[in-house]
Amino acid sequence: MTSPALNERRKLDRLQLVALAGLMCLGVAFVYSATVASQAASTLPWYDQSWVRQMVWYALGLGAGAALCLVDYHTLARWSLVAYGATLFFLVIVLIPHIGSMRFGARRWIDLGFFQFQPSEFAKLAFILAMANFLSRPAEELRQPAVFWKGIGLMLLPFGLILKEPDMGSALVLVPTGLVMMFVAGTPKSFLLRSMGVAGILGALLLADVLFAPPALQIKMLEYQRQRLLVYFGADFAARNATLEQKADARRLQADRSYQVQQALISVGSGGLWGAGWCQGKQTSLQFMPQGAAHNDFIFSVIAEEEGFVGSVVVLTLYAVVLFTGLRIAGQARDRLGKLVAVGVVTLLFSHVFINIGMNIRIVPVTGIPLPLLSYGGSSVLCSLIALGLMQNVHIHRRGY
Amino acid sequence: MLILDELKKNDPQLRLVAGMLAAGLFILLAGLWWVQVVSAREYQGHLETQSYRTVRLPAMRGKILDREGRVLAENRPSYNLSLYLDDLRKQFKMASDAEYARATNARARFIAAQEKQLGRPLTKAEEKRFAFTTGQMEQLRGQARYRVASALVSQVGQELGQPLTLDPAKFARDYETRLAMPYTVIPDASPEQVARFEEQITGSPGADVDLQPVRSYPLGTTAAHLLGYLQRDDDSQAGEDPDFNYRLPDYRGVTGIEWGFDSWLRGRAGGESMLVNNLGYYQTNDVWSAPEPGHNVVLTIDLDLQRAAEESLLSHQGPDARAAIVVMDVQTGDVLAMVSAPEINPDYLANDPKFLSDPKLRPEMNRATQQNYAPGSIFKPIVGLAALEAGLNPDALVDNPGYVYVGRRHIADLAPPGQYNFRSAIIESCNTYFITVGLRAGIENVVRMAGKFHLGERTGLPTRQETTGIFPALKQVQSPDWRDGDSANICIGQGEMAVTPIQMAVAYAAIANGGTIFWPRLVERIEPQDPASGGTTTNFPSGLVRGNIGVSGRSLKILRDAMLAETVEGTGQPAQVPGLQICGKTGTAQVMNERNQEVDRTTWFASFAPYEHPRYAVVVMVESGTFGGPTCAPIAHDIYAEILKKENAPAPAALAEAN
Repeated sequence: MTSPALNERRKLDRLQLVALAGLMCLGVAFVYSATVASQAASTLPWYDQSWVRQMVWYALGLGAGAALCLVDYHTLARWSLVAYGATLFFLVIVLIPHIGSMRFGARRWIDLGFFQFQPSEFAKLAFILAMANFLSRPAEELRQPAVFWKGIGLMLLPFGLILKEPDMGSALVLVPTGLVMMFVAGTPKSFLLRSMGVAGILGALLLADVLFAPPALQIKMLEYQRQRLLVYFGADFAARNATLEQKADARRLQADRSYQVQQALISVGSGGLWGAGWCQGKQTSLQFMPQGAAHNDFIFSVIAEEEGFVGSVVVLTLYAVVLFTGLRIAGQARDRLGKLVAVGVVTLLFSHVFINIGMNIRIVPVTGIPLPLLSYGGSSVLCSLIALGLMQNVHIHRRGY
Repeated sequence: MLILDELKKNDPQLRLVAGMLAAGLFILLAGLWWVQVVSAREYQGHLETQSYRTVRLPAMRGKILDREGRVLAENRPSYNLSLYLDDLRKQFKMASDAEYARATNARARFIAAQEKQLGRPLTKAEEKRFAFTTGQMEQLRGQARYRVASALVSQVGQELGQPLTLDPAKFARDYETRLAMPYTVIPDASPEQVARFEEQITGSPGADVDLQPVRSYPLGTTAAHLLGYLQRDDDSQAGEDPDFNYRLPDYRGVTGIEWGFDSWLRGRAGGESMLVNNLGYYQTNDVWSAPEPGHNVVLTIDLDLQRAAEESLLSHQGPDARAAIVVMDVQTGDVLAMVSAPEINPDYLANDPKFLSDPKLRPEMNRATQQNYAPGSIFKPIVGLAALEAGLNPDALVDNPGYVYVGRRHIADLAPPGQYNFRSAIIESCNTYFITVGLRAGIENVVRMAGKFHLGERTGLPTRQETTGIFPALKQVQSPDWRDGDSANICIGQGEMAVTPIQMAVAYAAIANGGTIFWPRLVERIEPQDPASGGTTTNFPSGLVRGNIGVSGRSLKILRDAMLAETVEGTGQPAQVPGLQICGKTGTAQVMNERNQEVDRTTWFASFAPYEHPRYAVVVMVESGTFGGPTCAPIAHDIYAEILKKENAPAPAALAEAN
């Protein structure tokens, strides 16, 4: 794979790979712990169990990431628009009733039998490449408003499609990624500040509407999305003029919806300093943490309960290493394209980490965002490893020919 | 360091990005610190609250024994045939799934029928109307559970040969509130039922036998009033944890010894914690505080005398008699027997409520201590003592024409007309004599003497149910409203006075033992149930002296001789027991209505024996009897016969020790 002559230039960023390995080990260990209560005792053969499948995805992902490193990222960038277009295409067809499979009220996956293909994950990567490619034009061009709006458009297309699925979390991470990439590329700060201001006002209006507006004026939003926001703010589910019975119903519903967040908090908090021990977590074994959530979106709460604050710090440290080595790669990249790709990947991963862990400790409302490499899920693992492959790619090819 | 390097770079934008990254990670770190370290205990508490249930374990109640250690109240195991719902979880799930499948099929068919009718497929909005709400889903699951449990219950019923049904409302409520505890189907099953159950059912999941202790009174209604009864009370006692999720059945005493010594008998409840899962099903348990068993209470009662008294009363007066008997040890004040008739069943709920509320029988009342009665002639010895102490010559004669006038009041005398001295007045119970000498001695002296006997005051028993009796105070008899007629009544034990049988027993014991008024002792000691456990025994001192009547030995001898003659020659003859010298006094008190007509009689026989060295006092009171002699004395006779038998029989304990 590597030609001896170019060996010294094509050194991989070892530190990042070590941190990666650490995260992958944790991933397998805790997917195991989260599912052992329900699966190990059941009749599933070992090769069908979640932790084994996670390892398979790791292997596949590493393979894909390594394959990508063979090709200079400039070549990849030339195909970025094609990739971008392809993911847009998949994002559209996943919305079509019989192609995209409906689960829990959302159409996000295309069922390929052995693999649940989630277009939004790949769309994020394609977006980063396409955006990096777009932004790597000369800096003066970026000062033109037209270019700025085209960049925003590049971001809003997948944003809108993903939002339609609906998958608010995945759509949301596109925004900081895009904005940070634009910032690093050299877009004038005023443009960015103004658009952030507008986005902020829109966001506040939306929140005000969800929390305070009477039913007639409420923006059309899926019920569970509204409820998640209400749960986060601890607001009453019932309308102001509801009857006593409706209020009682609403309170019950509120208890149900707050349940998951409350259980996550209890999991995390009861871990204390050292945690309960691997596979000793009560929340999963007693099924207070709902089965479906424990091993993907809320995997962090399992780690937090079983390894305590010490474990949480280890996880944060591993992510910090990955992210900051990514920034180092960005700094050492030989051109703006490489820098932007690295920064984009770093921001994307960081957004995932911040929102997911924040969700587990209730500083962020619940959104269905996986924790990169630790959550169970083929698409998420593949894309995380491909993204890291891109970063390594930038690092390997940091010296010109 | 990696992070610091990034923050110090030349590239301002990357620097800003690095800074934001660091800030974001720091926020997460701070948040995790807050949740996992600062609030850890609070969340640990939440975890325990939702996954642990505490159960209060009542302690084994102490027994109540007689002075020789024979059991009056104890505990027996009761076997409850119960369902253990966590064993049925799998069946519940299967049944729920089946119900749900059935319901979805029904719904699909209904939708198909609608579509056929309309001729077009239903829109999403219309279909939504037929969606199952969470309420309906829960109802489905509840029905499925009920079906499974009900099938098991009727299977049990079939095996036991009796039809059994499961109350759906109770089952649902129990599932909501007490899921982790066993659900009782047949409480307190008979041994036969348990045997059949063990044969046929045990081993199949979900049903098993659950053991609880229950109070039992092996001697039936014997000493029922003394023992008292229990009521269900699951509350935490002082010094125990106030919060428990579940409480096993516990009881507290309401009256009698069960009430008076309740905290000793009860011991201290313990606790265990059960681990439950998110649905509330039981997983494991762990006893963190073992219950401390209660202490046994040893009474001064002698079961032989108690039973003899009760049987004698029953055979002479029948089951509807309203009566009281007290037997006391005159040298120590120990209560050897206390009977109140009609008896109730200490297993309170086994009593017929109509019987309990009968206004005439009033069976719940302890007639030996709780009811006021006119003493009638049995008060005359006290009047006599007052007169003797005031200087009466016992040989002086008083003329009895068969009546006496006090002022303008005519008081009849049942003693045959003639001349009476002290001795014959006691023998024949002559009203005229005692009124005469009483008035001559002065009512104040009589009142003072009665005061020394502590009439009109409680005797201080540790159980509830005691009344003070009535006796006029000195001030009252000195007031101008007090007439000679009232004094005359007092002299014959009628009018403005009333006593309880226990007061009379204490009084006659004083006459017997030379003048000491004791505090009657009911409980001898409190000891731990298991002698090997190392608990402490509390002894209650016997012979606690309350006072002394301060009467000369000479007066007492005169009185005692007269009372001996009373049983030999006088109205007390039916009490005679060959081989025992008994001193006694009969009494027949009239109960008057407002118009001073006799509506009822209270008959008495108060006595002590043996004459030479008195040891026992026996007081018998029967409501609505004929006369003290024929009604009450024969019962005393039976009791003394039993006493004599015991005195003469070799002590079995002594024999065993000698061997």
